[in-house]
Amino acid sequence: MTKTKPLLEARQVFKGFFGNPVLKGVDIALEPGRVHALLGENGAGKSTLINLLSGALQPDKGDIVVDGKPVSRFSPAAAREAGIAVVQQELSLAAELSIAENIGLGALPRRFGLIDYKALSASVAEVCERVGLTEPLDMPVGDLSLGRRQMVEIAKALFRKPRVLILDEPTSSLSAHEAGILAGLIRKLRDEGIALLYISHRLNEVQALCSHVTVLKDGVVTADQPLAGVDDEGLVRLMVGRDAGDLFPAWQDHPAGAELIHLKKFSAGTALDVDFQASAGEIIGIGGLVGQGQEDFLLGLYGAIPASAEKAEISGSHRPLKRVEAANQAGLAYVPADRKHEGLVLPHSIASNLLLPSLGNLVKHGLRDRAAERNLVADLAKRLTIKGDVTRPVQALSGGNQQKVALAKWLPLDPSVLLLNDPTRGVDIETKREIYLMLQSFAREGKLVILLSSDTPELVHLCDRVAVFREGRVVATLPRADISEEAIVGAAMGVSAKGAAA
Amino acid sequence: MSATTVPANLYAAVQKRRNRGLTGLYLVVAAFLVVYAILFPGLLSVGGFSKFTQNWFPLALVTMAQALMMLNGGISLAIGPMVSLGAVIAAVTMGGPLGVLGGLIAVSVAGLFIGAVTGGIVAYLRLPAIIVTLAGSFIITGIALILLPRPGGYIPDWFSDLLAGHTPVAFGLLVLLLIGWKLYLATPLGLGIYAAGNNPVGAFRSGVPVERVKVFAFALSGLLAALAGLFVAAQTGSGDPVIGTPFTLNSIAGAVLGGVAFLGGKGTMRGVICGSLLLSVMINVMFFLGFPPVAQYVAQGLIIVGAVAIPQLTSQWRAKP
Repeated sequence: MTKTKPLLEARQVFKGFFGNPVLKGVDIALEPGRVHALLGENGAGKSTLINLLSGALQPDKGDIVVDGKPVSRFSPAAAREAGIAVVQQELSLAAELSIAENIGLGALPRRFGLIDYKALSASVAEVCERVGLTEPLDMPVGDLSLGRRQMVEIAKALFRKPRVLILDEPTSSLSAHEAGILAGLIRKLRDEGIALLYISHRLNEVQALCSHVTVLKDGVVTADQPLAGVDDEGLVRLMVGRDAGDLFPAWQDHPAGAELIHLKKFSAGTALDVDFQASAGEIIGIGGLVGQGQEDFLLGLYGAIPASAEKAEISGSHRPLKRVEAANQAGLAYVPADRKHEGLVLPHSIASNLLLPSLGNLVKHGLRDRAAERNLVADLAKRLTIKGDVTRPVQALSGGNQQKVALAKWLPLDPSVLLLNDPTRGVDIETKREIYLMLQSFAREGKLVILLSSDTPELVHLCDRVAVFREGRVVATLPRADISEEAIVGAAMGVSAKGAAA
Repeated sequence: MSATTVPANLYAAVQKRRNRGLTGLYLVVAAFLVVYAILFPGLLSVGGFSKFTQNWFPLALVTMAQALMMLNGGISLAIGPMVSLGAVIAAVTMGGPLGVLGGLIAVSVAGLFIGAVTGGIVAYLRLPAIIVTLAGSFIITGIALILLPRPGGYIPDWFSDLLAGHTPVAFGLLVLLLIGWKLYLATPLGLGIYAAGNNPVGAFRSGVPVERVKVFAFALSGLLAALAGLFVAAQTGSGDPVIGTPFTLNSIAGAVLGGVAFLGGKGTMRGVICGSLLLSVMINVMFFLGFPPVAQYVAQGLIIVGAVAIPQLTSQWRAKP
């Protein structure tokens, strides 16, 4: 094997926050012309390592090494100068500024001290072409969908002509089509000799794109090896440090009960003329590309946005629900995708987040019943395996555990219909598995679970039926026997399964 | 796949987009101006126009000063005291050995310096602007009262006549300031205000010097407020250590009318100019219609709430299927 000189390295780096060690002597070396995968569960230290490699944080001990030379004070400016660009998970865009201004931000071409809009326009157009951004360059970024903003973010990184490109979960909000463009782009950049670091929870992407993998677990490197010959189970084993078995729990047949939802020509927001039926004890998948009306469908069912229908039976109501309170009373619960803003009150404690939907039921003499509250919290924490102090703010938890809290707070109300909007996005593998088991047990208890997911394998392994959305309409309802990744993606893209594979 | 859409002139296209949502404001301002011109036809003469713009000028400046702070994601409670201090420094120094030029320099330096120090405290110590400027407002008022405990001082008559006489000099200065503002916004540091106000963490990661952007914006804000004070001193022919007080809230009102958002990064200078103009015309029209002063305040408040609520209501109404 030829040894190429790494462009960017971390050597034995340590980093802690408030006395909590996060990285404990980590090595990583990014070589030109290689796509390097960085894997690890949430909380393993991936984000901290990325922040060290991009100069956003300084290591407590150890060195960041550029071109073989240790850099003493590695700042974001020094990182940029060294040709290191990062596509962060949280977007760095300013909504009010145009696509072009956002892409150029921090590296704007100037003439006589003023921004040279002509030069900017030409060079931005070039990177937009590469990533397939066809929107007008003067369009404010705030007008774009989340997926398109992510593409702007990628264009912004490329604009700096990086030698090292770090991609942190770049596909989590992309449609399959956009993810495909990105994959092609990554291969091209690799062939041009750029060193790439790719962080993703989607193992199939890692397998398809990367040739080398570093696995972090609890702040130490548990593997640093070529990816060839390691299968998904092998990767999961490396991450959790033990045999995790299959990611997805085994399929269990569960009988469907009484019909809970029956819709005919149901429309809400961007969801149009949806025919839909679902019964107690079923897990129904909602699939398709990002932003095809799936979310509005769930919100319309939940009474959060206005809906209309030719016929609607929703958990005992004979018309679309008008208010969220009415939906809760009818036994519906909704877990939003954006848990940080919609699902949780981040600075509040785990306990008060868990209590929020049940506060009205835990009342004695018109006052809050503290004893009943304590019992409920203790019970929920046990059922969810949330360890430690429940008075900690929920923002101190990892993404996966936050999601568990967002889900669990509904359990005391014993909802009969659970509407879940991408519950495993950005969640580590072990928690994913816990969530899958929860969904199965809900179904066994006779609840109806409606699972909107951007992760197609999830739909394949968990659902009794999958409704695939395209441009607001259900283009296919696949029964259990016909569910496959090819069938879902094919329907979502409006082509036959064969065409989609190309 | 279709190609990327590249506008022929990116700068012009970006500027055009910024008019979005301001059409209503333009129409309201135009309507008020027409009403005012009908009530007071003198507006259309050189003298009348000059007087009108002189009344508007300090309000336009402080509204710009406030908008700079709000775009940064903060709000300033020290605008009024800065106006007073500017007026006091002008009245105290212009009679001295350095004359008018010296006074001009002293006012500008004081505005820039106090603004930059405030900005430095907010940016580097990461304190909320509203608290720092609240503290600043006490300190600045104190300094103004020490310099000039009672209204007085000296402003040369020729200087008062130049700025606040029968010629539209003030309007010319406003045009110059606007050109300067446009140029500033076309620099990376000026554009950085929007990025830093909108998404500070993202701007920092993109290589925008967020702290420097803030310090510059605060310094310019201080300068604008101090210059407004200088103008007020020229108008009244003397300095007054509390003359600026109403400007703090009026600057916020003007910026809000002009569509500047409280959360930062959203708002345009053309909106701000229209907002301050609207406020100024509104006050004048109500005066001419014979509203008692108390009713003027109430009407002003209602109009401001309406200006914020109406776009919100129309967008909700449009969103309904």
